[in-house]
Amino acid sequence: MTALVFICRRLALLLLVLALVSILTFAIVNVLPGDVATAVLGDTSTPDQVQSVRIAMGLDQPLLVRYLHWIEGVLRGDFGASLQYGRPIGPMLLGRLENSAILGLITLAIGAPLAVGFGLVAALRPGGWLDRVISGFSVGTHALPEYVIGLVAILAFSIWWPLLPGSSLMDPSENPLHRPEALVLPVGVLVLGMLAVIGQLTRASAIGVLASAYIRTAVLKGVPYWRVVLRHALPNLLPPAIAEIGMYFGYVIGGLVVVETLFSYAGVGQMMTNAVAYRDVPTIQAAVLVVAAAYGVGNLLADVVALLTNPRLRT
Amino acid sequence: MTGPTLNVRSLCINYGPSAHPLRAVRDVSFQIAPGEAYGLIGESGSGKSTIAFTIMRYLRGGHADGQVWLAGQDVMRLPEAALTQVRGRVAAMVYQDPMSALNPSMRVGEQVAEAVRLHRGADRAAAAARAVELFERVHLPTPSDIAQRYAHQLSGGQQQRVVIAMALACDPKLLIMDEPTTGLDVTTEAVILELVRELRRETGVSVLFISHNMGVIAQVCDRVGVLYAGQLVEEGRTVEVLHAPRHPYTIGLMRAMPQPGGAAHRLASIPGRLPDLQDPPPGCVFAARCEIATDLCGDVMPALLPASGREASHGSRCHYRDEAEALLPPPPLIAHGKASLGAGAPLLEAVGLEKRFGRRSWLRRAAPVRAVHDVTLEIPPGQTLAVVGESGSGKSTLARCVAGLIVPDEGYVRLEETRLAAQVGRRSRLQQRDVQFIFQNPDGALNPHWTVKQLLSRPVQLYTDLRGDAVRRRVVDLLEMVNLGERYLGRFPREMSGGEKQRIGIARAFAGNPRLVICDEPTSALDISVQASILNELIALQARHGTAYLFVSHDLGVVRHVAHRVAIMRHGRIVEAGDPAEVFERPHDPYTRALIDAIPTLVPPPAVAEARVTQIVR
Repeated sequence: MTALVFICRRLALLLLVLALVSILTFAIVNVLPGDVATAVLGDTSTPDQVQSVRIAMGLDQPLLVRYLHWIEGVLRGDFGASLQYGRPIGPMLLGRLENSAILGLITLAIGAPLAVGFGLVAALRPGGWLDRVISGFSVGTHALPEYVIGLVAILAFSIWWPLLPGSSLMDPSENPLHRPEALVLPVGVLVLGMLAVIGQLTRASAIGVLASAYIRTAVLKGVPYWRVVLRHALPNLLPPAIAEIGMYFGYVIGGLVVVETLFSYAGVGQMMTNAVAYRDVPTIQAAVLVVAAAYGVGNLLADVVALLTNPRLRT
Repeated sequence: MTGPTLNVRSLCINYGPSAHPLRAVRDVSFQIAPGEAYGLIGESGSGKSTIAFTIMRYLRGGHADGQVWLAGQDVMRLPEAALTQVRGRVAAMVYQDPMSALNPSMRVGEQVAEAVRLHRGADRAAAAARAVELFERVHLPTPSDIAQRYAHQLSGGQQQRVVIAMALACDPKLLIMDEPTTGLDVTTEAVILELVRELRRETGVSVLFISHNMGVIAQVCDRVGVLYAGQLVEEGRTVEVLHAPRHPYTIGLMRAMPQPGGAAHRLASIPGRLPDLQDPPPGCVFAARCEIATDLCGDVMPALLPASGREASHGSRCHYRDEAEALLPPPPLIAHGKASLGAGAPLLEAVGLEKRFGRRSWLRRAAPVRAVHDVTLEIPPGQTLAVVGESGSGKSTLARCVAGLIVPDEGYVRLEETRLAAQVGRRSRLQQRDVQFIFQNPDGALNPHWTVKQLLSRPVQLYTDLRGDAVRRRVVDLLEMVNLGERYLGRFPREMSGGEKQRIGIARAFAGNPRLVICDEPTSALDISVQASILNELIALQARHGTAYLFVSHDLGVVRHVAHRVAIMRHGRIVEAGDPAEVFERPHDPYTRALIDAIPTLVPPPAVAEARVTQIVR
């Protein structure tokens, strides 16, 4: 009962956040200097041409009217037409979203257990050689930007030792699952990025849990140590990792700007960079809204999982 | 089996580098016969918990030497893999803080059933049934329902019953109880102790009972060992050791213990502190703090030998074991400045105080908790009003309302003629100076990055006109007032013991010559011997400066010792108030009576005394 109330409250909050995000993105994109009409027509346009395009795009209307018009479309699932391609944004975004989700979910499915496992193993003997190797490695990779790791990976695995394609370029309508080899490098780079944050978080949390009195109780009850770790420690050290994985959900769905651009992967992140470069305002707005929603849903899922795993929150 | 259940031989435990270790436990030997309960008494740093965990071969970062024979096998020489067959099966443990000893995300029934499955090879259903049976055994209400709950859904007493049930799960030969009632309310403590007695009677399990509280030990144990600085300084039958101690340390402990029965004598404190265990003294460990120590004591370590005219089992590690009690002068009687009732106007008056926590809102439907419910009280100048209650009674909230640290929902506080603002920040500087606070936990109350000089200079500058060199002189005066000296000026809180830190807290409260000091459990985090000196100091300061105290405590013995008037609090209300002698000897309210009856006294309950006359193996 309380759990249901909690989830409903969080959903309401999520809707509120999305409304605010829509206002903010709309405002920022529209008060930016530079005129969309000029951008569309290019530098050689005459003032008359610009004016007629402005009227055609509704840009002469007041900001509020334009916002209401836009948001009404969004609620109907109509994000308007892309300035760049002239096609409706909705279906385009959906395809991109699917691609990003495939990349993101595979990353989470591999990265989250791996990171939690590494963190846990490192925590068993803090300061031991295994801990130093794992922590050193993950902090080291974390210090390198994704594009550096990505470039090194392309250099190593598709140029020096040509095992995998260096680019995941494909038709936006093509399902990436049909070309799994194109996913290996982007997923690998993203997982490396995840290991550091979630791994170190799990490690810190695990050290605290393993030193707690109830772990001592379990050991002195005669429970074998591996079982103590898995049955008694693991469920209690997960919450901070789950919260962070929830944040990652938003990131891998919508924030893979660097990796998608680097590997020419047709996802939401790449779509956003293109749209910004082209000043394709409706596309930017739509993409930002979707990314914000992804973050919101990720957090919500994390909270729900936390609620289900922590009896103290449940009652 | 005929041998002892537990036989600890020459146990030494060291911490730190092997070249220059901290010698936490030195050459400790004792035995526990089948069915016997043995108590280990000691203050913090005595090594009592370290010994308990070493018996379970659970020693983090330390190194142990010696032998621990548990039901015929030497635990110290068992391979690591064999330990899971000893832990929980031959010896099981009960811990100080049951809440943290239970896994928060596992149902309590499962936590008990797990041990049964592992040690007995029982299947799921059988193990679960056994857990419910054990819960019934420890008198948990609705055992099958409790088994489905999580630790946080149980009260402190219920949690401890679950831990005891878990320990009993596989019928161990030895039950190690490490301060099992410390932190529990006195009424809960009484029922847990009764449960331990009953389990001993009915299961015949041996018990190693560790506590700093001599009253608790007297209620449960047949024999007792007194531990000081890692050495056993006295050992014998409980009745003998506690009623006719033969070691100056034990004598000191007994005299430092405030008892609700009699407040007539001054509490004896034990001056000084534990010796440095990295360089333990060559002679008697207690010599530096002993009033009757001679050169011999400093040079030669006394052996644990029986005192003359005593049973052979009653040993004391003192060269003067036969004369100790006679040589140590009994503490002087003190004429407690008795309450001059009805004389003049009260210094402080609290009228109709009310504090509720947890507002009703669109998210919460639960009714707010009334922590303080229509409380009115008066404190005459220069006197002590003690507020006593168990946890959750609202006594601390009341103290904080008076201090202005919590804003009450209703009611007000008056200091003489003026009504004080509800919030301490809104009170005038003079009013702030007049009402000061001493906190329960000196660690949390002192800024760890400030030296003693900084900590004490600030209130001096705030509440007096002194400036420059005069501030320093005043700070030194304050330090001397609380029996610390100028040498403490440059110290940081981490460089001081708990008692020293609490003295700084007292000095800080007295910096501006307050008229009322609110003491919130000022000694509950301290050892008994330190508590005695702090209480004596508070009494002396009151006599010298005419300060009034609002003294909040859960310990009726302490209250009996310091209070001119006492108020018993329960569920936010004052249920009974009056002269301490009157209230303690002829309580009107049934709750007060229950509270007083629950205090563990040094007189063992008759049931245990005759239940088992144990043959002592020596």
